[in-house]
Amino acid sequence: MSSAGATTAVERFRELSDGDPEIQAHGRYFSCSYLLDMVDHRFLVRMHRGKVEELVTDPGPLEPYDFAIRAGRETWEGFCSEVPPPMCHGIWSATFRRDMTLEGDHLVIMQNLRVLTRQLELLRITGPLG
Amino acid sequence: MTSAHDEVVGRYVRVEVEGAEYDVFYLEAGQGRPLVCQHTAGCHNHQWRELLRDPDITSRYRVIAYDLPRHGKSDPPNNTEWWTSEYRLTTDHFTGFVIAFCDALALDEPIFMGSSFGGNVALDLAHRRPDRFHGVIPVEGADYAPGFFLDWWQHPHANAAQVSASGTWDLMAPQSPLADRWKTWFYYTQGSEAFRGDLYYYSVDHDLRGQLGEIDTVRCPVVMLTGEYDYLTTPEDGRRTADGIPGAEFLEMSEIGHFPMSENYPRFKGYLEQALDMIASKKG
Repeated sequence: MSSAGATTAVERFRELSDGDPEIQAHGRYFSCSYLLDMVDHRFLVRMHRGKVEELVTDPGPLEPYDFAIRAGRETWEGFCSEVPPPMCHGIWSATFRRDMTLEGDHLVIMQNLRVLTRQLELLRITGPLG
Repeated sequence: MTSAHDEVVGRYVRVEVEGAEYDVFYLEAGQGRPLVCQHTAGCHNHQWRELLRDPDITSRYRVIAYDLPRHGKSDPPNNTEWWTSEYRLTTDHFTGFVIAFCDALALDEPIFMGSSFGGNVALDLAHRRPDRFHGVIPVEGADYAPGFFLDWWQHPHANAAQVSASGTWDLMAPQSPLADRWKTWFYYTQGSEAFRGDLYYYSVDHDLRGQLGEIDTVRCPVVMLTGEYDYLTTPEDGRRTADGIPGAEFLEMSEIGHFPMSENYPRFKGYLEQALDMIASKKG
C-alpha cells in the first residue's frame, strides 16, 4: 500500500489517515491533539474534523495536547507491526498488560475512541514513526 | 420454509427469578443434548450465530442461545420499576436465572457454555449446581476478573455506544476476520446500557478465589477455553483457574481473543469440538 510522495513514516501516516475511508466517514467531530511518545522521538498529532492538521516531530516542551500515549520501545515495536503480538495489539491491551500509559484527559480519548482506534492501527502499516 | 431460511428459530419463554418476571428470547437449532449458550456482557445471542448454523454441532446437540434479560430481545423485568434503580448483576441472580431458564425449558442434563461473564457464571454454576449440568465450558473465564467495572461505559459526556464497542475492540485478535470483528463491534453498540451493570458481576461480585477446590468435576466436568489475545482473562488466568479445580481441563486457543464464537467461529470450532469430546469421554 504505497502512497505517492510519502518518504517518511510520519508523512505516510498522515496520508493514510487523511485518505482512510473509515476515519473520513466517521471523523467529522475528530478534533483533538495527542502525543505519541515513542522513546527516541515524540510525535504531536493535531486533528481537526478528521484531518491531520499538523504532525510535529519532537515538539517543544510547552506545546499543549489533550492526552499522551507512552510506552517502551518493545511495546511500540509490537504495536506497530503488521500483526501485533498478544497484549501489544491495542491501547487497552497494552495499558492493561504492558508498559503503555494513557496520560492527560481520558475523556477526550473516550469521546474519540472509535476513530482514534482506527487511526492508531495505521501504525501497523507505517511501522514506528521514528 | 423457503430455501432462503436456515433451521434456526426464535421463541420467548416466561422465566421468574428472585421475584423478577422476564420474557426471555432465545434462538435454537439442532437435536440432541442441550448446549445452552450465554453471550458476553453487554451483548446478545447473535454472537452464537455461526454455531447455531453449524450442522456438525447441531446434528448432535440442541444449541440454545438466549438473550439474558436487559439484552437483545429480552426486556428488563415486567413486574418492577427497574428504571428507578441502578442495574448491577449479582452472582445469585445470574446463576438463579440460568437454572430457572433451564427449568422453564425442561432441559435434561444440559451442557452450559458461556464466554467472558458467561465463562465466569459457568464456573459459578459448576460450583453451586453440579447436579443440574452434564458439564460446563467456561470460555474466557477465571476465578476472579477485576478491572472492567468502569464508569466510562456510561459517561454522559462520551458516546456510550461507541465507547462500549470500541473499548472492547482490542479484546479481539488481529487475525480474526474483519467482517466478524465488525459484527461483534456492532452488537456492542446496542448493549451499552446493560454493559456496566453486567461488569459489576464480572469484575466485582464474581469471586471464586479460595473456593475452586470445592468444584466437583466428577459430577460436572469443567473444560476451560481461553484465547491468547484476551487481555482481560488471559491464558495465565484461565490456566491458574483450571489448575485450582481438581480434574478440570484447560485449552489455550491461538490467534483468538475474548469473543471466540463471534470473532472467528471456524477457528473456535476446533477447540469447542475438543471440549465437547472431553466432556463426553468423562461422562459417557
